[in-house]
Amino acid sequence: MTVSVSLNGAEQRRPSRFGRMLEDRLPYLIVAPAILILLLVGLFPLIYSLIVSFQRITMTENDTSFVGLLNYAELFRDTRLWASLGHTAIITAIALPLELLVGFLMAQLFIDGMPGRQIFVALLVLPTVISPIVAGATWRLMFDVRFGPIGQILSFFAGEPVRILWTVNPAYVYPAIIICEVWQWAPFMFLLLLAALSNVDQSQLEAAEIDGASYLRVLRAIVLPAIAPVIAVACLIRGLDLVRIFDIIWALTEGGPGSMTETVSLYTYVQGFSQFETSYTAAISFLVIALLTLITTLVLKRMELTR
Amino acid sequence: MKFRTILSAAAVLALTGGSALAADKDAADIAVEAAKKYAGTTISIVWEAGLQSLDPLNYSGPKWEKLTGVKVKVVEVPTDQMFTKIMQDFKSGAGAYDALNVIPSWMPDLARAGALEPLDKYVDKFGYRDELQDIAAAYRDNQMQYDGKIYGFPDDGDVMLLYYRRDIFEDPKMKDEFKAKFGYELAPPKDWKQFDEIGQFITDKMAPKVYGAGFFRTAPYPQYMFQERFRMEGGKFFNADTMKATVNGDVGLKVFKQMLAENKFMPPGVEQWNFVDNLAAFLQGTTAMTISWPPYGRWAAGYGSGEEALKWVPKSQVAGKVGYALTPLGRPELGVGFDLSVSATSKNKEAAYLFIQWLNSKKTSLERVQLPYTLRDPFRLSHYASEKYRSLWPDAAAYLDTIKTSGEKGLLDLSLLQQDKYDEAMTKAISSLWAGEDPKAILERMAQQFDAITEKVGIENQKAVYKVWAAKPGAYPQ
Repeated sequence: MTVSVSLNGAEQRRPSRFGRMLEDRLPYLIVAPAILILLLVGLFPLIYSLIVSFQRITMTENDTSFVGLLNYAELFRDTRLWASLGHTAIITAIALPLELLVGFLMAQLFIDGMPGRQIFVALLVLPTVISPIVAGATWRLMFDVRFGPIGQILSFFAGEPVRILWTVNPAYVYPAIIICEVWQWAPFMFLLLLAALSNVDQSQLEAAEIDGASYLRVLRAIVLPAIAPVIAVACLIRGLDLVRIFDIIWALTEGGPGSMTETVSLYTYVQGFSQFETSYTAAISFLVIALLTLITTLVLKRMELTR
Repeated sequence: MKFRTILSAAAVLALTGGSALAADKDAADIAVEAAKKYAGTTISIVWEAGLQSLDPLNYSGPKWEKLTGVKVKVVEVPTDQMFTKIMQDFKSGAGAYDALNVIPSWMPDLARAGALEPLDKYVDKFGYRDELQDIAAAYRDNQMQYDGKIYGFPDDGDVMLLYYRRDIFEDPKMKDEFKAKFGYELAPPKDWKQFDEIGQFITDKMAPKVYGAGFFRTAPYPQYMFQERFRMEGGKFFNADTMKATVNGDVGLKVFKQMLAENKFMPPGVEQWNFVDNLAAFLQGTTAMTISWPPYGRWAAGYGSGEEALKWVPKSQVAGKVGYALTPLGRPELGVGFDLSVSATSKNKEAAYLFIQWLNSKKTSLERVQLPYTLRDPFRLSHYASEKYRSLWPDAAAYLDTIKTSGEKGLLDLSLLQQDKYDEAMTKAISSLWAGEDPKAILERMAQQFDAITEKVGIENQKAVYKVWAAKPGAYPQ
């Protein structure tokens, strides 16, 4: 059912009201299923978890009554939770700069071109494609006091048996985790920084070289400002990854000795799937979401990337 | 008169003959006959992933299907996820599982939640009560019931045994030197002081080729050893009146210090050893003593060495040289175990029950505990007495006798509401011990964690459960 109208002498077919309504809303209708699915798989669990965090749900009890902010109040008394957040902060604070530094040095090495560069680059990024749980398990074997190659290499240089209990001795357990973490993720930094360094304006570098600027001066005045946005994004991605670090530590130490290397992800997992504290785990998750949102916003603001 | 006499005699004969026929039918046969009406049905059973599940996958599942027409779907689940999966299924009401493998220390939680089907009515209906009496008392009296109801059939005779190298202990030179030094015979240690002296002596004489002993030290294994030693030295986990933890007293400290000191005569890096590391060391002859579950004994004797599934087990270098004994102080930890249960949400409860009755029955279980590739250990009096089993390898009779005695004297794992949390606290504490933290501080923290868990569960609730557990004959040494 259409109505014909004349415009500037030309007769055009004008859509009906229903047709116009359909035309106006067609884009929404097309994207509606996708939005619905996103809401179902994203927003619904979030809202449901929030509701659960105000209840008293555990896997072993049938009581599901609402307890208000009790679970959130419990968070502040839970010393193990705050310790795990501390462990997470330590690992992040040490591993992130190390990954950045090692990745940058590797990128510097490769930026000038070298024979077989493509092959070396491909080999260097191999660790990033390995599952972290496999990487952790492999490093656990590498650190094994009897059969591990690391002990054997150290023994060779020391000239006597070196027996370091990497995953037991408190003095070595963090270095073990950091080594494994940096080994796996420094190549990720390397790839991003190699791409960024390749795009630094060559004319500026050549002008600086003609002016006799030192390497450090060039680095500080030209290279770092040019690659700063990439560094910021790389640090943000890796920083968020480090905050939720789980697999490597689970495979290497399971959070031990004691709870010494238990990160917030491990603790959340233990509470949820080993101790069956469903509601309390939901409260922890929201605490972590709140902390991460706060930190990310501050970092983005500081880096002026929000503009 | 004569006719009436003959008639009466015939009636008596018929009756006694009939009951004799019924008596001839064992629990396995009864289960098979009753299950035939479920032919074509598929039942699922949760089983520990890995070697354990080769039993239903390769042996009992196919055999049950052949006998009854009931298919068995085996749901393999890693041990640390079994409780979660069972509870998730129960809470969701999905009814995905019909039969279950349940660790006995979980029973209070699972039974209270209503996740397990009480089995008493099935036991009576299918005449299984008599055969239950054949299950060794330690398992039958302690791991089968909660609150007076049967929730599971003990199906795995887990218990810790002391394994020692007979060739070293019987070496005349070693014996003479040991007696000259310590004034008593070199023999399996009767207490932990003897254990330490023997261990140190062998290490001093034979290391690095052979060390006095080796233990698994990584989670979760050492907490079972702690539970045993703590109680055998006179420790109590809680004050029964207040439910305050008492693990942080002098006894706990003594046990912790002893456990730590023993690492010194064990191979370097023993703190990192798990089940397989310890097994490999003993089978390769690197350690003269160890304490573990019964499969070590079978594998050390070379039983099942040709099995494809056991290729990962190092070839035993000590076959024929291994002796079996009670652990020091003579009351070994029963350590984990498995019950067969029926899920409360199952849609095929009777079919599931019949399968577990058949699995657990005298006849079928005897076959299952002899499967070389699975980890089910003897748990029935008839298993210990089986002539066939006792002749599987030259020392099999001594092995079975030791398991039987160990089972009779066995100490139960602590089993309270939310037991996993107490276990985790113990496991973490022992891990800190190996890391060199002050034992007293660790014990204080462990006690605080125990108290926090108890408070969260509810002191009165937990007190009631603890009271029932502590009253069991295997809870504390009498």
